[in-house]
Amino acid sequence: MPEVILKNLPFLLAGLRVTVEIALLSIAGGTLLSLAIGVLRYLRVPLIAQSLDLYVVFIRGTPLLVVLFICYFGLPALFGYKTSAYWAAVGGFILFIGAYLAEDIRAGLRSVSPGLVQAALATGLTRASVLRLIVVPIAVRNVIPTLFNQYVRLFKFTSVASVIGVNEFTGSAMLVNGREFAPITIIGFVALTYFVLCLVISLVGRTIYARFAVRT
Amino acid sequence: MPYRFDWTPIWANRDLILDGLLMTIALSALGLCLALVVGVVVGTAGSSQRRALRACAAAYVEVMRNVPLLVHMYFWYVGLAFLRLPPFACAVAALTLYSGAYVAEAVRSGLGAVPRGQHLAALASGLTPRQSLFYVVYPQALRIITPSLASLFSQLIKDSSLASVIAVAELTYQASAIEGQTFRTFEVYITISLLYLALVTVVTYGLLLVPGARDHPVQRLSDA
Repeated sequence: MPEVILKNLPFLLAGLRVTVEIALLSIAGGTLLSLAIGVLRYLRVPLIAQSLDLYVVFIRGTPLLVVLFICYFGLPALFGYKTSAYWAAVGGFILFIGAYLAEDIRAGLRSVSPGLVQAALATGLTRASVLRLIVVPIAVRNVIPTLFNQYVRLFKFTSVASVIGVNEFTGSAMLVNGREFAPITIIGFVALTYFVLCLVISLVGRTIYARFAVRT
Repeated sequence: MPYRFDWTPIWANRDLILDGLLMTIALSALGLCLALVVGVVVGTAGSSQRRALRACAAAYVEVMRNVPLLVHMYFWYVGLAFLRLPPFACAVAALTLYSGAYVAEAVRSGLGAVPRGQHLAALASGLTPRQSLFYVVYPQALRIITPSLASLFSQLIKDSSLASVIAVAELTYQASAIEGQTFRTFEVYITISLLYLALVTVVTYGLLLVPGARDHPVQRLSDA
């Protein structure tokens, strides 16, 4: 490893830790949010489903950077609260990726065959248990690959948090570069690290899918 | 303290917003065309018979796709600072290479979806391999992948907002500038979100209006 990297490794690793933390929090939060949105839209709960449609369209049409700006500068001004860049970023990522995941979850929910639902209802299960025991598990297992694609996307997107001042991996690397000025080495190292971690996420996704895919 | 909405600063700065919007359109239009070129070339290489060519294409796609766009931007703007490229060129290069990898994957899957018989039949009817590719295979493949291209292009438009980080004066950059002067945070960002939304909607639906984009020639033939 080049000396510039070795010398600043503790600082860079601290940044990487923040990146991983943000990514994990956002993946967990985004997945839960999207499950809730997906189910509410699937059940066509009046008014709620329509407003969620609007939310999904709005977020999917807006750049992530703008979503982060809204979460960091806009919403606190609107509702008069204070937030740190870190939590604004996590909130922004959850809102952002939740909308994309919700579309995938919805596609999964739709792919569950109506015959299966009818059969489950005919055996006397309540609607809630059909949803919980049959529809949601099958839907989620069907869309594991797309979910993990989104997770990879989110992981790359966490770099944007540096723009609102979160000291995550990219941000720390650019700080190091400001002091050391070895841009090719530092950016190369950053790119390589993201590359490896993204491959790891894809690999985890493939392993999970191989284990849990619905086989018919 | 409740927030008092005040949209007048937005209207007062409409020139800046319009400038930014035009810059965003220029940036994404250029990035879009170049990404399509890169995507078709790499995608074709990716579905070639030669293993070495396939491996190169796969390596390109994996490397480009698994590095954040922001890092791409920094690579061109900071990493290659000695080249003194203007920020706009850096942003276009980063967007092109990054999105090109996604387009390449779409093109590759589109080429895979065109039955091999089409190419063989074209050859048998006397077309050269190149003619077969350009007149028979590509048009069908591009139609098949139009929906995924539409979503890739709308992603590209949104991704172009990251160019603001390397000081390209596009929509997000202008919004931050206006926000810095007027403190009408919420109004500014909602305005530009809606502009992005409009842009994305136009591109997505516009692409579906391309003649023949919706119907699927292969299916139509087999249905008959």
